[in-house]
Amino acid sequence: MSIETHWAGERLILLADKAIVWSRTASLIVADPHFGKPAAFRMAGIPVPESTTASDLERLDELLRTHRNQRLIILGDFFHSAAGLQPAMMDTIADWRSQNASLEIVLVPGNHDKSAGEPPASWNIRLVPDGWSLPPFSFCHEPRDIPTSHVLAGHLHPAISLREKFGGGIRVPCFWFRRTCAVLPAFGSFTGTHAVRPTFGDQIFAVGDGEIVEVTA
Amino acid sequence: MSGKKQLLRWFQGRGWTPFKFQREAWRAALSGDSGLIHSPTGTGKTYAVAIPPLIEWLDENPQPQDWPKTAPLRVLWITPLRALASDTAQSILAPITDLALPWTVELRTGDTSSAARAKQRERLPSVLVTTPESLSLLLSYPGTQTQMASLRTVVVDEWHELLGTKRGVQTELCLARLRTWFPDLKTWGLSATLGNLAQASRVLVGAKAGAAKMISGDLKKKIVVETLIPADIESFPWGGHLGLNLLPEVIQRLLQAKTTLLFTNTRSQTEIWFRALLTARPDWATEIALHHGSIDRQVRQEVETRLREGTIRCVVCTASLDLGVDFSPVEQVIQIGAPKGVARILQRAGRSGHRPGAVSRIVCAPAHALELVEFAAVREAIAARELEFRIPLERPLDVLVQHLVTVALGSGFRESAMLAEVRSSHAYRDLSDTEWKWCLDFVTRGGTTLKAYPQFSRVSNSDDGFTVPDAFIAKLHRMSIGTITSDSAIAVRMLRGPMLGTIEESFIGRLKPGAKFSFGGQALELIRVRDMTAYVRRAKKFSGVVPQWMGGRMPLSSQLANVVRRKLAEARRGQFTGREMRAVKPVLEIQNRWSRIPEPDELLIERVKMRDGVHHFIFPFAGRLVHEGLAALIAHRVSKHVPASIAITLNDYGFGLLSAASIDLPDAAWREIFAPKDLLADLLGCLNSAELARRQFREIARIAGLVFQGYPGSGKTARQLQSSSGLFYDVFTRYDPENLLLNQARQEVLDRQLEISRLAGTINEIIEMKIVHVDTAYLTPLAFPLWASFVQANLTSEKWSERVKRMALQLETAAAAEKKK
Repeated sequence: MSIETHWAGERLILLADKAIVWSRTASLIVADPHFGKPAAFRMAGIPVPESTTASDLERLDELLRTHRNQRLIILGDFFHSAAGLQPAMMDTIADWRSQNASLEIVLVPGNHDKSAGEPPASWNIRLVPDGWSLPPFSFCHEPRDIPTSHVLAGHLHPAISLREKFGGGIRVPCFWFRRTCAVLPAFGSFTGTHAVRPTFGDQIFAVGDGEIVEVTA
Repeated sequence: MSGKKQLLRWFQGRGWTPFKFQREAWRAALSGDSGLIHSPTGTGKTYAVAIPPLIEWLDENPQPQDWPKTAPLRVLWITPLRALASDTAQSILAPITDLALPWTVELRTGDTSSAARAKQRERLPSVLVTTPESLSLLLSYPGTQTQMASLRTVVVDEWHELLGTKRGVQTELCLARLRTWFPDLKTWGLSATLGNLAQASRVLVGAKAGAAKMISGDLKKKIVVETLIPADIESFPWGGHLGLNLLPEVIQRLLQAKTTLLFTNTRSQTEIWFRALLTARPDWATEIALHHGSIDRQVRQEVETRLREGTIRCVVCTASLDLGVDFSPVEQVIQIGAPKGVARILQRAGRSGHRPGAVSRIVCAPAHALELVEFAAVREAIAARELEFRIPLERPLDVLVQHLVTVALGSGFRESAMLAEVRSSHAYRDLSDTEWKWCLDFVTRGGTTLKAYPQFSRVSNSDDGFTVPDAFIAKLHRMSIGTITSDSAIAVRMLRGPMLGTIEESFIGRLKPGAKFSFGGQALELIRVRDMTAYVRRAKKFSGVVPQWMGGRMPLSSQLANVVRRKLAEARRGQFTGREMRAVKPVLEIQNRWSRIPEPDELLIERVKMRDGVHHFIFPFAGRLVHEGLAALIAHRVSKHVPASIAITLNDYGFGLLSAASIDLPDAAWREIFAPKDLLADLLGCLNSAELARRQFREIARIAGLVFQGYPGSGKTARQLQSSSGLFYDVFTRYDPENLLLNQARQEVLDRQLEISRLAGTINEIIEMKIVHVDTAYLTPLAFPLWASFVQANLTSEKWSERVKRMALQLETAAAAEKKK
């Protein structure tokens, strides 16, 4: 369900639900929820069940409650595309926001947010287009190196391919921790993955089936 | 002069006399019948069906002065392969040109330019030669019915190639549509000889057309099957050899004939053989060529032209040249590696002596000793005409979903009429009301009535019936119609220069920039992959990998497997008839001495202790696909008795189980392990069935229009709609578990990947057999190839986390080993 790790001298809890809890600052960190992606598909005549938005929000609720977080940090791609900003989904999120009114939300906009547009002001989401810093961490959408800081990022939707000894194998989403930059798996249920090739010294935590496993090579 | 007389005179003018079956076909077609003509290739099937429409038209238009400038559409000619289209058009054109008829013959395939297609949408030619996909696409335009108003005959060429595939089902649906429009339409199919011809003809004509005529063009074509016997037979062959040890003999044969087709079983094998030939005979650089489905069309066409002209010594090829193109100059056919099927060898042999009455000759080059038995079996099966069946598919819902959108987009439809039309096809004759309702809901609401998806509508239902009002959705759908067959294909292109062909994404995905690989006979270096295109340049030195294409492994057919077992039983009794069997005699004698050659009513289990553990080799001789499921099942059941992790290996003859400790079980326990009881439940339990279904869902998602391949130039809007089939599988499983496409994926895993009915048949046979255990000191000739190639052990019931941990542990060990180096 979760794994504790120490990075940049801080204690982080990595969750199988594809989020990180930073207890010292009562923060929950997620990346790439891609809200509205199912709606954008449906608008183009491709059937995707609507339930993913609601269930992603429920999952978020559950995490915020369990870990008593006061702050939610979103590492970009909050929205998927302009076509996906359908009233039903916007209402669902607005309702959720009003039920969590005291929660501080910080959004580092990602490339998808730029074309999809900003969330409504009434949702009271703090936008930090150039990234945000809460030492020892910097929060970005795309992974990058920032001297004297440890970067937490999204964008890649990292996954790791594991092979069986004799043929076959699976690909699962993962957290990818490098020396000074860590990439979170995409939070949204209707998002794809991108296989990463870790190098020696990287730490990889695979998630799936409600579990999280370290698979560092 | 009557039309018939004119065409007979044209025939005679060419020095031909119509065959009996051609006259029979003309008579049937002229009296309004539909039917199926089967015969080996090169026996004049084309003119058996192309002539009657001309006679019919001439009789209706006897006065040349009254002829229109061009006759409207009369014949629709469907061919499975684009490569065949232009040859067919040439053949049909010959009498038209000679008799100066006002008929036009045009192609409409994926290769046809958009300008030509647009022109055709205004006016169709008198004969349209097309593919199932292009026909389907044509049905998606509203004016098509009016355009086709004078259509009389539809011909389906190479029907055996379409039967048993989703493209075949797509064809069935298109034919049903055409029959609704034109109730008097005649359907004629052309097929190679099959084991189940009667069924093939029923599928072709559907429920409406009534009984179909069955016409045999089997002119008892003489077929000579000859086998090259390697000078020294290797007793312990393995899969990697590819028959290259016969290279000198093959070169000798190439010297003896003017033009040879060299068939291999996989595209990678063509690459390997082409390189080997060039290395051995650099002077042949301009005299030999390569031909397979992934090579660019233009290059393929050049090769085909040279084949027709007879100006090429040898073409190394795969199934891409199996089909009916007429290459009369081909004097000889060589088959490299196991035949795997009777019909296939018959078809390939027919590529030589491609003239009525000529002898077809095929020279077989076995890649290893045991394949000698297969070739001996093939000859026997051909003599006895024991041919394979092509089993038609039963109501694949993904194809129906696609077709419903296509028809809605074209003429639109009303529910009850459309249901009747769909049920008139063989594939959907048993379509239930529930399935029908679900498909309609899926395209109109996304989910079932109670769970409609908000803002979703692909097809809308109004007073005008079911239609597609949204132009963007229409465009996306038309783009996806053509993709029924192709796995996501990546174009291979020179950095500055021409397109070389296409290659599976899964292969390119494993290469890093700078990696070298062989393609189309050239050594290439990968520069980068962008926009579904792999940019390459010529590599200076070759030392890379040969691409493995999907579907490369052809399983042994059950017909051939049976004959192989018969041949082995003869060998056991000391009977070695024919050159192949005499050549393989020493190998089989070792097998018999060290272990045993099983009788047809015996199941042989060999046990041998090796350094890596204890191996059990079990030989049901049922073909690779059956063994895949069977091996998993047996390993699963064995592990209940002997708690151990078991690795699996398999081939067409049997499978091997490798465990740390010996499996010491009494005979009764072994019987239980092979028992038919709980077969399905156990099989699904032991295979990672969810994962297999998830993979099978790729094709379904593509056909049902859930995922789109990136099209070069399709722009950002389309890119934002890209997704993977696996994601859809997961989302449906979680939020819409009743989605029938998920069922279809599970069923396809059972039917196609595991051949569940054949597997059940094998199990039922085994239970009647005597189980013979033999402890051997060494690997026997039958066991060696199994030992040599460990494959596919994706069979586990472990928990997800345990499995991931174990695989990670393997990574670590591998990494540690690398570090030591």
